[in-house]
Amino acid sequence: MRVAVVGCGGMGRVHAGEYAIMPGVELVGVCDIEYHLAEELAARTGTRAFSSYEDMMSQAKPEVVSLALPSHLHKEYICRSAKLGVHVISEKPISLKAADAREAIQACEQHSVKLFLGHVVRFFPEYAQIKKAVDEGILGKVGVVHLKRVGSHPGAAREWYFDEEKSGGVIVDLMIHDIDFALWTLGEPKSVYTLRRTSEASDYALITLLFHNGAVVNLEGHWGDPGNFRTSAEFAGSGGVIRADSENSKSITIRKAALDSKGNRFAEIPESPSVHSPYYLELEHFIHCIREDSNPTVTPEDARRALIVANAARESADTGQVVYFGHEFGRETYQ
Amino acid sequence: MKKQIKVGMISFAHGHAFSYLEGLSRIPEAVVTGISHPERSKIEDALMRTEADYYEDYHDLLQTDIDAVIICSENIHHAQLTIEAAKAGKHVMCEKPLGLSVPEMEEMISVCREAGVQLMTAFPCRYLSAVVRAREAVMKGEIGEIISMKGTNRGSMPGGWFIEPSLSGGGALLDHTVHVMDLMNWFLPDSRVTDVYAYANRIFHEEIKVEDTGMIHVKFDNGVFGVIDTSWSRPRSFPTWGDVTLEIVGTAGTISVDSLAQKNEWFIDKAGKGQHHFWGDSMDDLLVKGFIEALVKDLPVPINGVDGLRSTEVALAGYRSVETGQPVRL
Repeated sequence: MRVAVVGCGGMGRVHAGEYAIMPGVELVGVCDIEYHLAEELAARTGTRAFSSYEDMMSQAKPEVVSLALPSHLHKEYICRSAKLGVHVISEKPISLKAADAREAIQACEQHSVKLFLGHVVRFFPEYAQIKKAVDEGILGKVGVVHLKRVGSHPGAAREWYFDEEKSGGVIVDLMIHDIDFALWTLGEPKSVYTLRRTSEASDYALITLLFHNGAVVNLEGHWGDPGNFRTSAEFAGSGGVIRADSENSKSITIRKAALDSKGNRFAEIPESPSVHSPYYLELEHFIHCIREDSNPTVTPEDARRALIVANAARESADTGQVVYFGHEFGRETYQ
Repeated sequence: MKKQIKVGMISFAHGHAFSYLEGLSRIPEAVVTGISHPERSKIEDALMRTEADYYEDYHDLLQTDIDAVIICSENIHHAQLTIEAAKAGKHVMCEKPLGLSVPEMEEMISVCREAGVQLMTAFPCRYLSAVVRAREAVMKGEIGEIISMKGTNRGSMPGGWFIEPSLSGGGALLDHTVHVMDLMNWFLPDSRVTDVYAYANRIFHEEIKVEDTGMIHVKFDNGVFGVIDTSWSRPRSFPTWGDVTLEIVGTAGTISVDSLAQKNEWFIDKAGKGQHHFWGDSMDDLLVKGFIEALVKDLPVPINGVDGLRSTEVALAGYRSVETGQPVRL
C-alpha cells in the first residue's frame, strides 16, 4: 500500500513515523509548503520530500493520503484527493462546518474512495476498555460521565490554532475527541450547554451534554494549561464506576540527575509506554479497512455528528442558551 | 475560669450530629448539656459518652440555660427550629442546606439578627486543609485571576429521610450543590452568582423518590463560571463514601484539589472491597471549633446565614432550570 502524508507538523510527523514502521505499507512521500519540515521528516522516515501537494500526488502516486493539515483545509484536500481517486485518512475534525463535512463525504462517495477520520481516542486502550464495559452492560445504566482533556495551547507552536476560523478553537479541535467518545458510548444526544472563556493564551470550556438515555456528560477542555497534557474519564452507572486518568497510569518514571538553570536537582519524567501507540492502531485499522474493503470503527458520519455537537456547543457558549438537537439528529435536520 | 459555652443539640437526624458531638468533646471551651431527638434509642450511645441530659421535646431543651444550639434535623425543620431557638436567645449552628426557600432563609437570618444571636451554616468543607491552602494560593494571586472552577461532591445514596422529599426538600442536587457552591462563593467573596443551568435525574437508584443525579453550572457577575457534579453516583463497591474535588483554572495556572486524597488504602478480605481510610484533619472538628471560638470571643461566626442562603439559592434556582431546560437568572 503506497501512502503519502500531507502536512509535516506535529500530527504529520506522527502519521509518517507510524507508516514507516507498518508492515505492508510504503511511505512514498511527505509534503509541506514549509519545505524544510518535509525534508526533516523525509530524512527521518526514509522517504521523499515535496513542497507541493500536486507534485507529490503526481510523482509519488500514493493510493492513500494522510491529511495532517490545519483544520480549515481539511474539506478542500479531502475533495481534491477524492477526485484523484486516492483514499483519504484525515485528521479530525472532518471540517469546520457540517455542510462542508457533507460535501467531503459526498465527494468521497462519488469518486468511490474511502474516507477515514482520526478520532484516535477510540483507539486508546483505556478508552476502548470503557466502551467495551459500557456495551457489555457492566456499568448498568450509565448516569454521570466526566471527560477531561487539557494541555498547553498549540498556538504557541502553530499560529493557525489561535484563529478560530481555522481551528474551531478548543471545542472543535480538542474536545471533539471526547465529544466523539461520548456519542460513541452513549448514543443520541439531546442537548448541549457550554460555558467558555477565551483569551490570548487560553481557551477553556465546560460543556454539559445530555443524552436521550438520561445520561449526563460534563466535558472539560483547556488549551493553555501550564501542566502536563492530561486526560481523564469517569463513567458512573447503576452497576458501578470506571475511571481512567492519564496521571495515574504512568507505568515508569525516569529520574535523571541534572542541575538545570533554576537549580532543580533532578528531572523527573513519568511515562506510559506501549508496543504500539494508539495512532499506530488507528492507522493500521484504516489501512486494514482499505485492504479488506470493510467499514471502519469510526465512520465519516460519526465524524460529522461529532462536529455538529461541537459546533452546537460553541453556539451555546455564544448565546448562553441550551441548544437542543432534534430527534433526527445527525441526519439532515441539524446543519 | 475561661468562658464556657453551653451547647444543646437538637436532632440527630443528620449523621453529622455525631461527629459534631465528638468535635465538641475535644473543645475545653464547650460543654454539651442537653441533647434532643425524638427517638432516644438512636442516640443512646451518644448520651452514654457525654454528661448531657436527654430531652424528648426540644422545647424543654430551649428552656434551659444553654448558650447555643446545633441543629441537625431533617431539612424541612431547619427554619422552624432555628427561629424558635433564636427567639429563645440561643445562638444557632444549622446543618446545610440552611432552608428550603429563599423567603424562609431570609426570615431565619432576620429573626436571628433581631434576637441578637448568631446564625452559622454548617459548611465543614471550608475547613478541609487542601481547600484552605487552595484559597490562600488563589488570594495571593498564585494562579492569576480565576477563570473557572469545576467541582465534584459525589456521594453514595444516603437513604433514610434524605430520599423522602417531604422531609429533605430535594435529592442530590440540593444535598450536594451547597457544599461546593459555598466554596466557590468563598473563593470569590466579591462576586455573586447570576445564572444557573442544571440537570437532575434518577439513574443510579430506580426505587427512590428524589433525583440521584445532578449537574449544575453557574455564572458569576465577574464572568467566572463553574460546574458541580452533585450526584449520588458512588456504588456500594466504591472504596469510600464520595469526594470533594475542585479544579480551579486561573489566568496564570491551575489548582487541583482532591480533599480526601490523604488516605490509606485498605484491602481487607472481610470488607469485601478495597477501602480508603482518610487520615487528614477532621473538618467537622474544625467547624465546631470555629463556631465555639466565635461565641467565646464574641466575634462574627466564620460562616453565617447569608453564606447558607447564597449557596442554597443556587441549588433552588437549579431546580427551576431543570424545569425549563434552560439557564435561569438568579
